[in-house]
Amino acid sequence: MEAVIFYVFGAALIAAGVGVVTSRNPVHSAMFLVLAFVTSAFLWMLLEAEFLAIVLVLVYVGAVMVLFLFVVMMLDVKIEQARAGFTRYAPLGIAVVLIIVAQLGYVVWARTQEMSFLQAPPRADAGFSNTELLGSQLYTDYAYPFELAAVILLVAIVAAIALTMRKRPGLKVQDVAKQVQVRREDRVRLVSMDAEKGE
Amino acid sequence: MIGVAHYLTLAGLLFTLSVAGIFLNRKNVIILLMCIELMLLAVNFNFITLSRFLGDPAGQVFVFFILTVAAAESAIGLAILVVLFRSRRSINVEELDSMKG
Amino acid sequence: MTVAESAFLIPDFAPAAAEIVVLFMACVVLVVDLFVSDRHRWITYGLCLLTLLMAAMATAMYVPRETVLTFSGTFVSDPLARVLKLFTYSVTAVVFLYSKDYLRERALFRGEYYLLGLFATLGIMVLISAHSMLTVYLGLELLSLSLYAMVAFSRDDPVAAESAMKYFILGAIASGCFLFGTSILYGVTGSLDLAEIRRAVATLDGLNIHLLFALSFILVGIGFKFGAVPFHMWVPDVYQGAPTSVTLFIGSAAKIGSLALLMRVLVEGLGGVQQSWGDMLLVLCILSMGIGNIVAIAQTNLKRMLGYSTISHVGFILMGFLVGTRQGIEAALYYTVAYVIMAAAAFGMILLLSRRGFEADELDDFRGLNARSRWFAGVMLVVMFSMAGVPPFLGFWAKLAVLGAAVDAGLTWLAVTGVIFSVIGAFYYLRIIKLMYFEEPSDTLSLGGGSDLKLVLSLNAALIVFLGVFPEGLISIFNQIVTTAP
Repeated sequence: MEAVIFYVFGAALIAAGVGVVTSRNPVHSAMFLVLAFVTSAFLWMLLEAEFLAIVLVLVYVGAVMVLFLFVVMMLDVKIEQARAGFTRYAPLGIAVVLIIVAQLGYVVWARTQEMSFLQAPPRADAGFSNTELLGSQLYTDYAYPFELAAVILLVAIVAAIALTMRKRPGLKVQDVAKQVQVRREDRVRLVSMDAEKGE
Repeated sequence: MIGVAHYLTLAGLLFTLSVAGIFLNRKNVIILLMCIELMLLAVNFNFITLSRFLGDPAGQVFVFFILTVAAAESAIGLAILVVLFRSRRSINVEELDSMKG
Repeated sequence: MTVAESAFLIPDFAPAAAEIVVLFMACVVLVVDLFVSDRHRWITYGLCLLTLLMAAMATAMYVPRETVLTFSGTFVSDPLARVLKLFTYSVTAVVFLYSKDYLRERALFRGEYYLLGLFATLGIMVLISAHSMLTVYLGLELLSLSLYAMVAFSRDDPVAAESAMKYFILGAIASGCFLFGTSILYGVTGSLDLAEIRRAVATLDGLNIHLLFALSFILVGIGFKFGAVPFHMWVPDVYQGAPTSVTLFIGSAAKIGSLALLMRVLVEGLGGVQQSWGDMLLVLCILSMGIGNIVAIAQTNLKRMLGYSTISHVGFILMGFLVGTRQGIEAALYYTVAYVIMAAAAFGMILLLSRRGFEADELDDFRGLNARSRWFAGVMLVVMFSMAGVPPFLGFWAKLAVLGAAVDAGLTWLAVTGVIFSVIGAFYYLRIIKLMYFEEPSDTLSLGGGSDLKLVLSLNAALIVFLGVFPEGLISIFNQIVTTAP
């Protein structure tokens, strides 16, 4: 059963990865990336990392990918000109990738089989909470990294605002306070005029 | 039986795919950013696999931080992308050649 | 995996007092800057300098002099960390001071530059005190993310945006490779703690295939952050494209971060397999010295030329590390500190010469500087001679220390290669001196720049001369603080 799930979702994950890399439209790439994240989340469940699987879906699919799509739409990139075939670097790229695949195949696949110390531990029992485990670690042993992560998010906020927010001159905005405070005398002027006489 | 080598190989393939994507997509910066996300996903996969097979939660904690940092990273990357697009009206990588030498 | 039931003790915060001060003050600056008008922006600037001063006091006044671990072993305070941190504060303060006039003239004198600078400094501090791969990674990212934003900071400059994008993409790929290597290292050693990694690695054979695989990916990340060939593609573009004040930060203070990264991960964590990473560093070292020095000759843009010059200096720093002896590591630390002092002065000169709407970053802008200002032509002369490695300036002793360590370790051929490349490199430094002294000025305006900039720049050059004439003090400091050798 585990093998079936692994192979089905593994194949879907690889297919989604290929889709991200090769599709012609950035929106399709983003959708394939969403698929990759969701299938990974399933596989992470299989590895008993339930909390991270859920975070991956919530944070990545829910927030980061939406940000990506938002920027893709906002920039309105011309699809045809953006992806007119692969570039002159393609042969080099393929060569490099083949070398890495060969190395990975040798190191990870052939040599990791020998590593006896990495035996699969037994499944945790039903009452075990992965979230509780992570939480108890995060707020004790990893309190310092946790604070640092907060600082990094603060830097991201500051940087994103500093880079993209700009005050445009001549922008028309309502000032509600001014609108409320307005008095009759500011808007209406009563002029007394004599009635015009017809000639 | 699905062992550690299966998962690590899957993560390795994903990593290789992302490197291939970076080499092949010299056209569009957004797809480069997505390839980087894919790369970090492969790294996370490695950590979670090893965390399970070593029986050590530290790997999962590391993934938690990678997820956080990667979100911050993509926010800054997209902000730079917007600045770039505003000033050049293009995000084609091959047009980024105003400096030579 | 079981929930840890052991009692958790509140960690000792005192060793991290400096980090806490910088973070607290960065938040204060963030809020204060909101309410400060552009005319009173000096308040932000002053607060940032005050922050660095307070951090320096916090670091200097921390009493225990030996190695202290806290936060469950993720943070370390040792003599090396304290000295490097104090050096970081002073370099950052100098960088802030040099940048002030430049930013003001370009309407970039906003709080964000200083704020991101403070966060980058915090990142360097975290890297310096890292004692776990996790804190190494977080410090590295805190530093890098701040730098990406600082490069793109001049929003209306398309060249700056372009170089920021290149820096970001390549930096993110490098981080990804570093993480991939870290994940394999975690699998091999079963831990993220640097001391644990050191213990686990000691039991392994240096030719363990998984370990070598992890090492090669980690070295991609380190090579990139240092800007070593073949991971140097970003250096010239970022140096040229970024606002000069940001280039100054990347070229000086950020180099301390790269040094700390290498010290903590390779020397402390993976010191047991020095032979393996030493051989990999050897390739980076020779390529960096060669390509950096040769390509620099062809440059007409001074910032770009200094970028290539950085690459060649990085080659020398790596030479000290790859030698693998205690002497070599001391020499590499000494070289880095010397290089940072020289680079700060070199970029300070560019900042001094630039004015509103004019970047003095072409070689021709230094033509006939002697006729415009004898004093600052002399300052530039000192900096260039020192970078070229001419005695009796600081750069000479740094080169001598590294080459001496290489010869003592039996790598005479490498030392000879280094000498040959630095002779080639001397050409482009001397060309600037020729331009300054033997050619007519193309522009006769007197130099701008505030008196504080001129004073500190002169002091910076004086320091190069002083440490060149009396080199023993600085060398002996590094003699004392290097506690771990591979």
